[in-house]
Amino acid sequence: MKSKTILLVEDNPDDRELTLLAFQHGHIGNAVTLAADGVEALEYLFCEGRHAERDRSHMPAVVLLDLKLPKIDGLEVLRRVRADARTRLLPVVILTSSKEEQDLINGYTLGANSYIRKPVDFDKFNEAIRQLGLYWLVINEIPPSTQVS
Amino acid sequence: MKPCVLIVDDSLTVRMDLKEAMEAAGFDTITSASIASARRACQQGTFDLAILDVLLPDGDGLSLLQEIKATPGTADRPVLLLSSEDEVRDRVRGLRTGADDYVGKPYDVTQVVARARELVQRRRARTRERPLIVVIEDSPTFAAEMRASLEAAGYEVAVGVSGEEGLRLAADLRPDAVVADQVLPGIDGPEVIRRLRSDTALRRTPCLLLTASEDRTDELRALEAGADAFSQKHAGAPVILAKLAALLRTTRETAGAAALPSLLAPKRILAVDDSATFLGELCDQLRAEGYDVVAAHSGAEALELLGTQPVDGILLDLLMPEMSGQETCRRIKAEPAWRDIPLIILTALDESAAMIEGINAGADDYIAKSGDFEILKARLRAQLRRKQFEDENRDIREQLHRREMEAVETQALRELSETRAALIASLEQKNAEMLQANGELKRAKDAADSANRELESFSYSVSHDLRAPLRAVDGFSQLLLTQVGVQLDATARRHLERVREGTKRMGQLIDDMLSLAQVTRQPLRNEPVDLSAESLNIVAHLRTTPPAGRTVEVEVAAGLVAQGDRGLLRILLENLLGNAWKFTTKREQAYIEFGRQPPADGPVVFFVRDNGAGFDMKYANKLFGVFQRLHTMEEFPGTGVGLATVSRVVRRHGGKVWAESAVGQGATFFFTLADS
Repeated sequence: MKSKTILLVEDNPDDRELTLLAFQHGHIGNAVTLAADGVEALEYLFCEGRHAERDRSHMPAVVLLDLKLPKIDGLEVLRRVRADARTRLLPVVILTSSKEEQDLINGYTLGANSYIRKPVDFDKFNEAIRQLGLYWLVINEIPPSTQVS
Repeated sequence: MKPCVLIVDDSLTVRMDLKEAMEAAGFDTITSASIASARRACQQGTFDLAILDVLLPDGDGLSLLQEIKATPGTADRPVLLLSSEDEVRDRVRGLRTGADDYVGKPYDVTQVVARARELVQRRRARTRERPLIVVIEDSPTFAAEMRASLEAAGYEVAVGVSGEEGLRLAADLRPDAVVADQVLPGIDGPEVIRRLRSDTALRRTPCLLLTASEDRTDELRALEAGADAFSQKHAGAPVILAKLAALLRTTRETAGAAALPSLLAPKRILAVDDSATFLGELCDQLRAEGYDVVAAHSGAEALELLGTQPVDGILLDLLMPEMSGQETCRRIKAEPAWRDIPLIILTALDESAAMIEGINAGADDYIAKSGDFEILKARLRAQLRRKQFEDENRDIREQLHRREMEAVETQALRELSETRAALIASLEQKNAEMLQANGELKRAKDAADSANRELESFSYSVSHDLRAPLRAVDGFSQLLLTQVGVQLDATARRHLERVREGTKRMGQLIDDMLSLAQVTRQPLRNEPVDLSAESLNIVAHLRTTPPAGRTVEVEVAAGLVAQGDRGLLRILLENLLGNAWKFTTKREQAYIEFGRQPPADGPVVFFVRDNGAGFDMKYANKLFGVFQRLHTMEEFPGTGVGLATVSRVVRRHGGKVWAESAVGQGATFFFTLADS
């Protein structure tokens, strides 16, 4: 069995770095794959383009998805992930700054497993990321189909 | 089909005479010499009219009459009694038994034929179920077309191919309307109508004149001739039918007055004299003149006869035994139905006293008996003419009156339609104005919508983009503190802490502004909201922040329910209760109350009261403005957006909010949610 990895889809380098630091803080040692926009995220998940050569049998244990992304936005990424049989059951956590009600509703409607709003306060942010890692990487059981492609 | 007449008379001469005359007039005939053979004919019921002698060898003609009238199959057949003039009783009895007319013997054959024809026509007109239209048209194609359309529309149709035939048909059939072509062989359409108009019996028949020409003057000529309506042939059957229907409708409405008898129809005269000799001679003279004469030997007989048969004129002897001429005259003139019948008094004596007596009794004229009947006939003619003229005058007056009414009605209709037209015009203008206003409204709404969309995308950016750099500032200053904190002196560390404080505050400010914008943008829902339950939830949440070194007593009135948007009302209560919680932090025994004012006129007033810091009422007007604060950050933290949000929520619900307070005395915030 392969190790559980995380796919972090985030365009803001500050947020990317803070998130990685937060994982460190929370003692979450899992490998993190970075995608800077929606297109790259989809290429990774469907083994296309830049990621055409990667190991197809491997799928991340959880996707942390920002909503506001260049090219293809987070909600569209989610829609395509849910529309494809290979990724239909993949756990997707929306990690965003937005507290718009409509984003929440759209996220859950499209099949997000969780919706987390990034706090401005770094201590709170650390705590949120720690709990998130604990839950999705340790406590939660991954659906079998995500491991088979 | 030819009408059939049953002739019952024991005299062969009479039978042959009538048979010949009737057949010449277009009737079929059945003749019987006795009641027995007549009864057989009756049982077959094939006749349209019976001419019946009263005295028959095997019985009384009146009993046969009774049978005819009592048998359902023949009850509606007209019966003309033919009998000796001497028997006034027979005449009265016959008419009372149900005879339709009575002709005295010796009879005038043309008169019998005329009466027979009229009786048959009357029955036909009476039993007609569908309106009968006489079409006078020489073109077989158009005639057939008209017949087909009219019959399809439920009319009965008779077609005459010339003006003369059309007039004969009209006279025979008494149709409900005549449709005549303008151009006909022989007499043309306008002439046909003119002749119809000059016949008293037919002048009311509605006439529609058709023309093939486009010339408008044709219409004038048609109307001049007396046509009621005019139509062009090529207008088509539907137009012609519609005009005809309208014509029949208007005639039906005005057909109240009884139809006048034809001027040319034979007049019936009642002659009354006690002297059989004079009466006989008078009757002969009048019959020779073409009158149908009914003879009575006394005043009583005369009244009896009048009761059974209408007459056109009365000749009355002044000197009679029993009921005198004056008395008879008075009784006749007292009867409304007989009053208008011209009455001429006859007397043997040319004395002025008698004349005056007669005139006083109501007679229309007076004449001395003599062997010279020419004067009498002339006077009678004059009286009948006068009566005819009077009738016609009355008729004309009625028509004039009707026309006047019609003119008034037309005027009213025109005014109505003008008013209606004006109304429609103003309505249309209003409509156009409304459409324009709607267009403007739509443009304004579009502009507002686009502004709203812009605001939305702006809020989204604020929410997402402004927070990200803040997080970076906070995150990296925190990292700096943990990484190099030990190497920094206390001042530098405090500065870094200040940076973090600033970012937190800015984050709070952004969140508050977003929720304020949300309050304005979100569509308002309308549902019953349990304010008491919401308040208790909020207070429970507030209590999770431990009240450092103080007790907070909160009292929430039970059963406070309002109509409104649950989400917004929750935001409102969160702000008011949150403020109360915040501004009582310096009280060791804090007290917060949520309740409603005692019922009064106007909307329900809710309030949130606390015993906290309070504020100076002279700043009350600043209370609900955005970023307005009455306390320093050191005293009480806050962004100055909360009460602005409260004010917007209340305003969106159509209510009001205000506050009462004094420094150090706590504060009470009141709000209503709707004006009604």
